[in-house]
Amino acid sequence: MSLKDEAPKETLDTLGRVCPYPLLLTKKALEKLQSGAMLKVLCDAPASAEDSIPRYCEKNGFGFESVKLEDKGYWELYIKKK
Amino acid sequence: MGSMFGFILSGLLVGAAFGFVLQRGRYCVNTAFRDVIFINDFTLLRAYVLGLVTLIIGANFLEDVGWLGGSGQLYRQAFVPWANAIGGYIFGMGIVLAGGCGSGILYRVGEGLLAALVAVFGFFFGIMTTKAGLLKPLYEALTAKVVYVGEDTTPTLFNMLGVNKWVVIAVLTVAAVPFLLKGTPFKKAKKGYYWSTAGLLVGLVAVIAFWASAHFGGNARGLSFTGPLREFFLAVTMGDSQASPSLIKSVTMLGINVSWSSLYVLGVPLGAYISAKLLKEFKLKVPPANELLRVLAGGFVMGLGAQISGGCNIGQGFTGVSTLAVSSWVTTVFILLGNWTMVYFLLIKPMRD
Repeated sequence: MSLKDEAPKETLDTLGRVCPYPLLLTKKALEKLQSGAMLKVLCDAPASAEDSIPRYCEKNGFGFESVKLEDKGYWELYIKKK
Repeated sequence: MGSMFGFILSGLLVGAAFGFVLQRGRYCVNTAFRDVIFINDFTLLRAYVLGLVTLIIGANFLEDVGWLGGSGQLYRQAFVPWANAIGGYIFGMGIVLAGGCGSGILYRVGEGLLAALVAVFGFFFGIMTTKAGLLKPLYEALTAKVVYVGEDTTPTLFNMLGVNKWVVIAVLTVAAVPFLLKGTPFKKAKKGYYWSTAGLLVGLVAVIAFWASAHFGGNARGLSFTGPLREFFLAVTMGDSQASPSLIKSVTMLGINVSWSSLYVLGVPLGAYISAKLLKEFKLKVPPANELLRVLAGGFVMGLGAQISGGCNIGQGFTGVSTLAVSSWVTTVFILLGNWTMVYFLLIKPMRD
């Protein structure tokens, strides 16, 4: 089962937010969550969705998957805390 | 007519190529500096260093083979220690507030980020206030002290050390290699540009910009954004870029005097727009009101700092550093310190409290 099929514990909406808020809010939300919990993030900042947030997750060993919703112009990021 | 066409097209193309590569590579110096202390990640810093190594070698090669026309030399900025240090520090703080560096805010306009457009306006407002308005006395006081080597030579790393410039370039390149190799530069990207591709392309476009600025603009000014952004907005609002002819050539079209550099300022968001459109990432985005105000203030602080220090992360931190001018190296170190100070107080400390 891929990460995006799991039910997220929390959904974080960062649409329209300026850099570095998408990363900052994601970091904050993940710190509050218990390990093993899933966070879904909505993000429309390309650099955050495809660069800084995945790098942050990789660095911390968190599970990461993203779905680019091209028709809506944003990404759904699925992050599983280690 | 032909030369006018080349003048306009080359300016727009250099800007568009830069904007395209920045958007694809998610390349932002603010992020590169920030991530080092915020998420302990060096990936984008490696892209920046690789771009820099490419540009240092490329730009100095162009100078030595005599492909820079005009004076035949890279444009090296005067060493104004107080202005370089204080201006750089202020600029470094500003880019955190504005959510992007000088080139970062400009390319993100092309992604439809209205906050970036507001930051660009703030940037211009800060530049003008400092260059010609209320803050001019501060600017003049900080730039009054100029340091020379000998009679009136601009200090560079090589003339200060009294060695051939290629010795300095070789040492810097060799020092950068282990840092770059640690980031596995030859790995294939999962999607988009891998950091090494982004860094290399950004460096190559900047090398081309040096050649094009000399060939079409009459002087090897290379890529920068503080002066050119001012020139662009002055051309639009006043009908004259007011660029110094010793710095860059201007032409008159449709009754407006336009500098070569102000054309690439227009090209950057256009190139980023094309890239974002092709990737289906273009979307008009508006942040909450308080963030909009923050980026406006951040843009102003950027303009204040960049005007004082003699350039932004590109003019000083990239193009300037590649010329090995001491002023650019000092400014860049202080941009980094200013960035880290602001990241600590704005992002790291609030998370701990």
